[in-house]
Amino acid sequence: MAKRNRRVGYGLPVVLAIAVHVVALLMTMLRLPDSEPTPSSSSVVQATLVSDVTATDQAQYAQEARARTAQRQAEEAAQAAAEQEAQEAARQAAEQQAQEEAQAEEAERQAAAAQAEAAAQRRQQAAEQAAAERAEAEKQQQAAEAKRQAEAKARAEAEKQRQAEEKAKAEAKAKAEAEKKRQAEEKAKAEAEAKAEAEKKRQAEEKAKAEAEKKRQAEEKAKADAKAKAEAEKKRQAEEKAKAEAKAKAEAEKKKAAEAAAKKAAAEALNNSIANEQERIANAQQAAQASNSFINLVKRAVEDRWHLPANVDSGLVAQVRVRLGPSGELLAASITRSSGNPSFDRSATQAVEAAAPFRELQQLDAGLQRRFRDFNLKFTPGDIQ
Amino acid sequence: MNDSMSIPHLIMNASLVVQLVMLLLLAASIASWVVIFQRSFALRRARKAQKAFDERFWSGVDLNELYRDVPENYEAQGSEHVFRAGFREFNRLMPKTRSSEAVLDGVQRSQRVALSREEDSLNANLTLLATVASASPYIGLFGTVWGIMGSFQSLSMAQQATLSTVAPWIAEALVATAMGLFAAIPAVIFYNRLSSIASRLLGEYEDFAEEFHSILHRNLQGRGGNQAA
Repeated sequence: MAKRNRRVGYGLPVVLAIAVHVVALLMTMLRLPDSEPTPSSSSVVQATLVSDVTATDQAQYAQEARARTAQRQAEEAAQAAAEQEAQEAARQAAEQQAQEEAQAEEAERQAAAAQAEAAAQRRQQAAEQAAAERAEAEKQQQAAEAKRQAEAKARAEAEKQRQAEEKAKAEAKAKAEAEKKRQAEEKAKAEAEAKAEAEKKRQAEEKAKAEAEKKRQAEEKAKADAKAKAEAEKKRQAEEKAKAEAKAKAEAEKKKAAEAAAKKAAAEALNNSIANEQERIANAQQAAQASNSFINLVKRAVEDRWHLPANVDSGLVAQVRVRLGPSGELLAASITRSSGNPSFDRSATQAVEAAAPFRELQQLDAGLQRRFRDFNLKFTPGDIQ
Repeated sequence: MNDSMSIPHLIMNASLVVQLVMLLLLAASIASWVVIFQRSFALRRARKAQKAFDERFWSGVDLNELYRDVPENYEAQGSEHVFRAGFREFNRLMPKTRSSEAVLDGVQRSQRVALSREEDSLNANLTLLATVASASPYIGLFGTVWGIMGSFQSLSMAQQATLSTVAPWIAEALVATAMGLFAAIPAVIFYNRLSSIASRLLGEYEDFAEEFHSILHRNLQGRGGNQAA
């Protein structure tokens, strides 16, 4: 015995035995993931949803889809057109404004500063209003209305501005007249003064020659005063001019800002439309998922309730058309393609009847509900014993 | 779920007794496989040696030559061992007695001893295989029963007994039975196979012993003392 053991050692057998166990362990670890997908296919009965629409329905759906896409494109085009028009209207209004403002500036130069300011404020308000309204109009996305509104607005603004201008002109005229009157009065006053002085002079000449010097001095004084007055007037006019120019500049800047705001609003409208499109795509994906889950639910429910008749050929295929009510109740389950085995066909329709109602239909979107209220189920006996 | 139901995970999460049972079964399985491999090699070698010696013996070579023609420290096996034991006894007894009966008795006795030694060596460790084959299913079953007992004890504290709460416990407990069967099945198969090979070899040895005995008997009968010197 000892000799034999010495001849055949235990080293190699031990290594081999451990190798066998390691291999067995690895096989158990490797087989588990493989064996896992099998339970899903181990369902005895396989009911497959062939298609949820018939051929004619498909054509209808295709048409509808085409119509929908056409509508969407039209909407987009209209939107784009509306935006363009609104922008153009804005530009035209701005140009008009600019022209009117240029005219107004000339008037202003003649008119008093206070009136000009008031007019500018009104115009500014009008411009702001116009910008706000323009943005709104763009958001509404309805081409005709937006266009009409924009035009009406532009016209109303133009009218307003024209009125404002006329007012300003009238006021300027009135002011000019008033100034003329004032100047005339001043003149009259000055004349009266001169007369009084002349009289005084005369009295002074009559009184004394010594007073002649005083008179001369007084005259000089009066002259100096007049000069000072004239200079002061000039100064005032220059200041007014500077003020008017500053106002004009400020207005131009405001105009620019208004234009920028209008552009921004247009860009936002475009972004909004893009976001809407993305949302629509996301909704479509969600709907697809929901429909998949609904198909699976129906399949599972029908599979669970399908009792295959005995000794059925495994090659049989029956197609059942299922029509559902709005709340998922079964309206009709009819054989659209018979398997040739009446008992098999009956078992298929009975399975659908037993599985109904499909209350999950109510959880779907309205559009999907319509699609899933009529679908076909294909019955094939799976690997049944 | 997938990860928690994998076999290594189940083994790691088992209770101590079940783990000990599993360890014991693993050791038994490894030991049985060591024996399986060692015995397979040894028996294959014994068969080869038997075949070679058979050819040599029946090739008509002189028995004295066959007896003497051995390398240093050579340890004979199988039928060669039987032959050498018998022939040595025969050579020793021949000068001492005239009675052919006594010589043949002595030769037979020494051959029986050699045969029993050979049988011992052929069946060495096969009892271990037999033990593993018969005992490991029971050991595994013990582990399973213990694990299920534990699972039911802890289940009594749970509020709801659903299949998903019981399943991991039972799966874990059943691993012990699986391991017991994993150890037992190869042990049974290879025990049967190896023991049948060993008994066949032993039968061949016995046949040879009888044949050799008849040769010696013929020689003694023929000349009453012929020793091919």
